[in-house]
Amino acid sequence: MPGVTLKGVGRRFGALKAVDSIDLAVEHGEFVTLLGPSGCGKTTTLRMVAGLERNDSGVIAIGDRVVSDAAADLFVPPDHRKLGMVFQSYAIWPHMTVFDNVAYPLSVRHVARAEIRARVMAALKLVEMEAYAGRPAPALSGGQQQRVAIARALVFEPEVLLLDEPLSNLDARLRAQMGDEFRALQRRLKITTLYVTHDQEEAMALSDRVVVMDKGRVLQVGAPEEVYHRPASRTVAAFFGTPNFIEARVTASRANGRDHVLAIEGAGMRGDCRAAEAHEPGDAVLVMIRPEDVTLDSAGPLSWQGTVVDGVFRGPRRTLTIEAQGRRFTVECRATRAASVGDTVTLSVDADNAWAVRP
Amino acid sequence: MTVAVSLEHREAALTHGLSRYGRPAAIGLLVLALGFLTVYPLAMLLYGSIHSTPPGMAGEFNSAGYRALLAPDNLQALANTALISLVKTGLSLALAILMAWIVARTDTPGRGVLEILITLPFFIPPILTATAWAMLGNKQVGTINLAWRWITGSDGGLIDVYSYGGIVWHMMQYATPFIFLFVVDAFRAMDPSLEEASRMSGASRWQTFWRVTFALMLPVTTSAFILSFIRGMESFESAVFFGTPVNIKVLTTQIFDMITQRAQPDYQAATAMGFASLVLMGLLLVLQGRLLRGRSFTTVTGKAYAPNVTRLGPWRWLTFAICFAFFLLTVVLPVGQLLLSSFFQFFGFYQIDMLTLEHYRSVWANDEFWHAFGNTMLLGVCGATATMILGGIIGYISTRTTWPGRKLIDVLAWLPWMMPGMVLGIGFLWGFATLPHWMPIYGTLWALLLAYMALGTPVAVRVTSGAYAQIARDIEECSRVHGANWGQTMLRILVALAWPAFAVGWVLIFFGIMRELSASILLYVPDTQVMSVVMLKMWNSGKPEDVSVVGLIMLALVLLFRWVQLRFIKRRISTL
Repeated sequence: MPGVTLKGVGRRFGALKAVDSIDLAVEHGEFVTLLGPSGCGKTTTLRMVAGLERNDSGVIAIGDRVVSDAAADLFVPPDHRKLGMVFQSYAIWPHMTVFDNVAYPLSVRHVARAEIRARVMAALKLVEMEAYAGRPAPALSGGQQQRVAIARALVFEPEVLLLDEPLSNLDARLRAQMGDEFRALQRRLKITTLYVTHDQEEAMALSDRVVVMDKGRVLQVGAPEEVYHRPASRTVAAFFGTPNFIEARVTASRANGRDHVLAIEGAGMRGDCRAAEAHEPGDAVLVMIRPEDVTLDSAGPLSWQGTVVDGVFRGPRRTLTIEAQGRRFTVECRATRAASVGDTVTLSVDADNAWAVRP
Repeated sequence: MTVAVSLEHREAALTHGLSRYGRPAAIGLLVLALGFLTVYPLAMLLYGSIHSTPPGMAGEFNSAGYRALLAPDNLQALANTALISLVKTGLSLALAILMAWIVARTDTPGRGVLEILITLPFFIPPILTATAWAMLGNKQVGTINLAWRWITGSDGGLIDVYSYGGIVWHMMQYATPFIFLFVVDAFRAMDPSLEEASRMSGASRWQTFWRVTFALMLPVTTSAFILSFIRGMESFESAVFFGTPVNIKVLTTQIFDMITQRAQPDYQAATAMGFASLVLMGLLLVLQGRLLRGRSFTTVTGKAYAPNVTRLGPWRWLTFAICFAFFLLTVVLPVGQLLLSSFFQFFGFYQIDMLTLEHYRSVWANDEFWHAFGNTMLLGVCGATATMILGGIIGYISTRTTWPGRKLIDVLAWLPWMMPGMVLGIGFLWGFATLPHWMPIYGTLWALLLAYMALGTPVAVRVTSGAYAQIARDIEECSRVHGANWGQTMLRILVALAWPAFAVGWVLIFFGIMRELSASILLYVPDTQVMSVVMLKMWNSGKPEDVSVVGLIMLALVLLFRWVQLRFIKRRISTL
């Protein structure tokens, strides 16, 4: 079954470990996104799957077929891996027409002419570009080039589709639109997809699972909601939005379903929060509170009194900076909630929305 | 299914095996070939310079060659070479920058055409303009002096091309377009916002020119200066035409004299002089590297911007006149002279009753010339093709791969850049004489072909690397991922995109071979004469009118190629 498996895959550039022993299993038909800041090794990982970069440790398999095994000195060159790929720059060949660009993966494999024609037109239809087949490639806009690149990647019906930040060269509106279209297409074709981006919103909107990477390592793998609400570490938590972190000490810990409920106390507060694992009383933890999970004007188990020091109106909502207990909180609230600098407010958070990670 | 899988594996293992053993083998072969073209003549040069007898004869090792360099005669030649080259480079640089600015940054009329006209002299073989100027600027019978006497009624001459000034002027006709080609793109490619930012910060137009425009161009200008200076030191034609008759000696003519013009050729001293001048040029290139270290060229490369254009008002006709005058003096006048003298019995006597087609008939019936013509064409086509293939591979390895050994290949390919044709010629002379008997290269066209390939390789590498650099890596990788193997990718993507540059490089190298004189003159035997050698011999045996005819044939070829290049190739690419 065409999925992608990485076992202990690593790559060095000189002394730098660009990718440090990654394990990952992508299921057939799954959409998995590699997410991380620039230089985290996500693109190198993708390129190793593509065969454009050679892994110097570990095994890569596409479906049942091992395509690269550093220990056995096995390396299948990219043209034998049956992949489709969309590059960040789209890499549309400027000396060919749209049709020739899309036909390329078929013509280099000596597919019959009539079949090429049918499959290229079908692929172009998929991305609604069939009217442009005869156009020279340089005469396309960014969004159109992007569509052609996708059609070219799909025309051979590859086992796995690889995408390297394909939306990053588009403007914000087009990016959202192309993202949605692409997700719909991927669901329809059920094609195994490995996607690289540094944009967290893009990653959450598109993926079945997100792989959060940093400094060549995988920090967490999970569904978008999972990594957003139940981050494994402070780094993962901080990668999505601008959460608040509060130092606290555990006083008690008990299991609750697959989570654990911790009783915590810290500067001027006492209450409950959740965590992925059990803690000993006395353990220091960091409690993550997302700005949109803070409730104003009602006291609860975890609550603080504070003063508004800054307010930014953002249209659909308002971002407040509130100082409480010598600590600054970022809080998202309704845009209609009036708040001027100097106002005294009460903040509170549910135990369900307070998530503890190890500091 | 399992069969298919195992087949796939075997195939993969095969490709892998190829890349595993094929790569070192390919690199080794390339290094060997390049080494033979560049390091071998260099090493033989050193060997010859301390070897007491001519190539191929038993002798002993001593330093007599280097001691001979200290003779006043040779020191004088060195001083002349440096002085002449310095003066011509300085003058050419000033003129080239002025014209580049006019063409790239002013509203002078007809700039596009002017640019083609200014660079045209660069493509005319120097031996051709040298003969023309010898007939234009001869003190007694030169056309310019005749016209001057006719107009003013005086007895004196206006100019004498057989002088230091004459040599400098002839070199300038080549140095100016050479530097122009370097700086005009730098002027053009500069991001106008860099200058606008300077103006917005309160700098005047003049301050902006010096502190931003000129400062940004300094690296390009410096390297153009040094390269042009080196080319000046390597130059042979100007000095052999205008210096030798009046006993003005430079290094190249001195070497030529020692080997070919003396009753007892002094190979050792000539070789020592060749090696010494090579070291000198190496030092200059090191100096260039030092001067430019850490200077960034990035602000003046890349995208084509719409540059700031200075409105000159009525002055634009003056700037137009400057550029056009350069074209008149360097192209129209010499070519006119060749036409004129080809139709008259004797040049200098331009009366109606002296009109004749005799010289055309004489050249037409000249078997020696047609043999040389055939040799030149054969060498040009084969040499340019072979050099471009070699250069294309080297360019690919040095810009697109991370193979170990690519630095070495790069350096080897660049070595001939600092070797004057004459010095490379001596190196090969020694090299071919020392080869075992089953490799009889000396005396065959192979000798010339190998020398031309060595001289052309740096150009080929430069042109092809430039073309590859413009093609994003993605474009190539994308092809691999979508099922094309290395060969398919190379042909259908890289070559398909870069062929205009390949064609330009081919034409440049073909021109280079057609005009090459200083290496050919050492390596030819009667059976392997080429056009430039025949021209020089005809000139020296006192047949300037026939030389004019040959020159015109050569010029027709140059114009044909240049036209093809501009018409069919330049349209497809932005650079070169």
